[in-house]
Amino acid sequence: MDRRLLLGFDWLWFLTLMALSGAGLVAIWSTTDGTSLDSYFGKQVLYLCCALVVFFVLLYFDYRVFSDFIVFIYAAGMISLVLVLLIGVTVHGNKSWIDLGFFSFQPSEVMKIIVIIALSKYYSRLEGERLGLKELFFGGLIVLAPMSMVVLQKDLGTAVTFLPIYGILSCLAGIRKKHLVFLIVVVLIAAPLGWFSLQGYQKGRIRNVLNPSSDPYGVGYQSRQSVIAIGSGKFLGKGFKQGSQGNLGFLPARHTDFVFAVLAEERGFLGSLSVLGLFLLLYYRMLRAAREAKDKIGTMIVAGVLALLLFHMTINIGMVQGLLPIAGIPLPFVSAGGSALITYYAAMSLCMGIWVRRYVN
Amino acid sequence: MELQQETNKQLILQRLGYFRYPVLLIFLILVARLWQLQIIQGSEYALKAENNRIRTIELAAPRGAILDRNRVPLVEHRSSFTVLLYRESMNDPDATTLFLTEKLAVNPEDLESELRRSRKTGLYRPIVVKGEAGMEDISIIEAHRRDHPEIQLVPKPRRLYHYGKLAAHLLGYIGEVTEQELERNAFPGAEIGALVGQSGVERIYNGLLVGRNGQRLVLVDSRGREVGLLDETPPVVGGSLRLTLDLKLQLAAEKALEGNVGAIVAMNPVNGEILAMASAPAYDPNDFSIRLSHENWNALLEDPHHPMQNRSIQNSYSPGSIFKLVIAKAGMEEGILDGDASVFCSGSADYYGRTFHCGDKTGHGKIRLEQAIAKSCNIFFYETGKQLGISKIAEHAASLGLGEKTGVDLPGERSGIIPSPEWKKEARGEPWYPGETIPVSIGQGAVSTTPLQILRAVCALVNGGRLVTPHVLMDAEYGGGTPEWPVAQVPLHENTGLRIREGMWQGVKGGGTGHAAAIAGMDICGKTGTAQIVNTETEKRFEGTAEDHAWFAGFSSKDDPEIAVVVFIEHGGKGGAVAAPLARAIFASYYKKGN
Repeated sequence: MDRRLLLGFDWLWFLTLMALSGAGLVAIWSTTDGTSLDSYFGKQVLYLCCALVVFFVLLYFDYRVFSDFIVFIYAAGMISLVLVLLIGVTVHGNKSWIDLGFFSFQPSEVMKIIVIIALSKYYSRLEGERLGLKELFFGGLIVLAPMSMVVLQKDLGTAVTFLPIYGILSCLAGIRKKHLVFLIVVVLIAAPLGWFSLQGYQKGRIRNVLNPSSDPYGVGYQSRQSVIAIGSGKFLGKGFKQGSQGNLGFLPARHTDFVFAVLAEERGFLGSLSVLGLFLLLYYRMLRAAREAKDKIGTMIVAGVLALLLFHMTINIGMVQGLLPIAGIPLPFVSAGGSALITYYAAMSLCMGIWVRRYVN
Repeated sequence: MELQQETNKQLILQRLGYFRYPVLLIFLILVARLWQLQIIQGSEYALKAENNRIRTIELAAPRGAILDRNRVPLVEHRSSFTVLLYRESMNDPDATTLFLTEKLAVNPEDLESELRRSRKTGLYRPIVVKGEAGMEDISIIEAHRRDHPEIQLVPKPRRLYHYGKLAAHLLGYIGEVTEQELERNAFPGAEIGALVGQSGVERIYNGLLVGRNGQRLVLVDSRGREVGLLDETPPVVGGSLRLTLDLKLQLAAEKALEGNVGAIVAMNPVNGEILAMASAPAYDPNDFSIRLSHENWNALLEDPHHPMQNRSIQNSYSPGSIFKLVIAKAGMEEGILDGDASVFCSGSADYYGRTFHCGDKTGHGKIRLEQAIAKSCNIFFYETGKQLGISKIAEHAASLGLGEKTGVDLPGERSGIIPSPEWKKEARGEPWYPGETIPVSIGQGAVSTTPLQILRAVCALVNGGRLVTPHVLMDAEYGGGTPEWPVAQVPLHENTGLRIREGMWQGVKGGGTGHAAAIAGMDICGKTGTAQIVNTETEKRFEGTAEDHAWFAGFSSKDDPEIAVVVFIEHGGKGGAVAAPLARAIFASYYKKGN
């Protein structure tokens, strides 16, 4: 491996990731039983090890290898999404998992990264200062194709996360104002249409955000318990394994989607602020990498991943704080779960690779 | 080309720069929300989290025991279990309803109305779905603890009245405090659902009898299952009361009243201690210990004999000839019956154009006070009453506490009526006619007294004019101590008391109307009364529709009164034939223990 690659490695960035995953591990340990390999904690340690292996192995490859073969990678991703529909396993009503025997895998997670590379590649090769309607439309197809497959898997939360990728990369590529306005109008029109396609419980979750006290023991239960967990942490938190909301089961999905509430309950304002600070630091390092990237595609890939992370983080913490409707979106790097963790580390490896290769031809 | 690429990249970086602002805005919002939840409202949410995880289980304190004067327990408690429903832990209301109605046999309508009634109260407050769990219920609930953590058994001490209906009116019963009682703070410190005394001693001395409820603070998980005990404050049993009641005498009184409608009260004439107080028909206060069903409650209320009423204090009746003792007292004190004063009784006499009869149609001939009392001669008292006039009669009756509450430590006492010109003007808006004084002289007309009033007045006449305050509380374990009961002194010449006692002695021992109360070797004295049931509208006797009220009031012994008894039998017939033998049974019981 090139010595310059090692020298260019951003240790602060890497340590930030480790700190976020570490905070997640502590929270999972604290709020679930046991530390054996079968426990949530044990599994998460394993996932993190796998994620690190993936991170360093991928770091070895130049990102241009991925962008050069993106057509094949994209095709493979689409095939796996079709496969999910055929042989997938249904978890919590979403048919988005492939059971590999030892490991359940969610192809839609990886597909997000593939879409980022594909769209970056497509936009970066355009010549003009501004994005034409044709290019915008074709770029949209790249996003819409896998997104519609995910919608078919009934995983609406994941499907929606494709939109910010499209939005941010199109903006960077120089979308015209009128096209941007048009897209926003389309989304605004689609939103109420989408409302009617929502399941009853999904509508209830949205209504609950607008009026939290409407049904405190029904739909609003999770949101209410989560807000109680956060608030009751006060400044310093209740301490390790002391969070009653998490440990007595009042918090739903406490080690996965609501792990931030566990953190806030047990670590208080100080702890939750630290986690937000880590995310901010991460974005700062990623922005720096995007700026310093050797080429347009590098900048766009890092920006796309950043948009994806920011979107996930905002939706997750906003939902846990009772500001946004409940959607099954985990907190990147922190929530328990292997598929998402490994995917995010792969994406980080991709971005870090762009950073370390900023001077390499 | 290369340059083009370069300018393009510069443009992209420029656009990328703008993204700082939304990113910072997002962080600002998230941090602000954290600040709001954790710093500003932190304590509020901490409390909510505590309420979430801590369940307070009320441990009901048993009420204090009620003992008779010899410390024989009359009322205690037994342990039992109540079934509670914690609505906040209810995950599937349909499953809960099914479990309650199918397995625990809870009436679906009762359950529904209870749920509706409790809709306003906090969800954390459990509601009672079954007042008393049987052995079968307990094992079913225990077996389904994991599936139905919302249904809980809590120990609840039950009031136990050892002798059922015995002294039911005096002891009273307990029941859940009503909303109105809470509103006017009738029972300080009582909360919703608290059991409080609803009548009798249970009500009057509720504050002394209630214990202090304890509580268990348990840790529960989100399904409402107990996962640990945080704190436990044991309940403190209420203070016990010692009554003046004598169980043996009370049993005798209850037995005497069997099959009758009426009341018997026995009292110590010197200090006012009530030794027995029975009223029939009675209810069983044990029925109220478990929630009384609507049917049973209505049955009690609609019973024509009013079993809930304590006839010794809560209703007033025409006293009949017993009232002659009051006329005797008035006549003596006013100087009308001095010395050898006598009246000739021919069996009837005319007053104000109406003919009045004596009980003995053949007449008593020339008769003096003592014999007039003993034989209950109407003519003698008509004459005395006529000479006294209504105002003097009312004045002397009032001095003996008639027409006013005795002040007994029991709720719901009636004051009765002693007619006077003022009373008639106020009650009926008419002037007093002298002819009306004649029936009043023998306790008829508008005269209306409670049996306890009569007993108290008789005691004052025979104990030297001490108008005692009848009472049932001897002493309380704490809080009440040994209370003082006021005694009023009625102006009474010694001779008056002597002659009345002599008359009452002759009434029993000297072949008078009360001879059925006599016990060989005992100096029992007494006066009978047979109150005619008169329609207050027409002032005519109901012909054959209802028997007269039978009365007997007596004491023993003649020279040293230590027990006084009043017997009242509603529509019983003749006082001498019906009431006097019952009084005899009480005296017999009193002297049997060699007191």
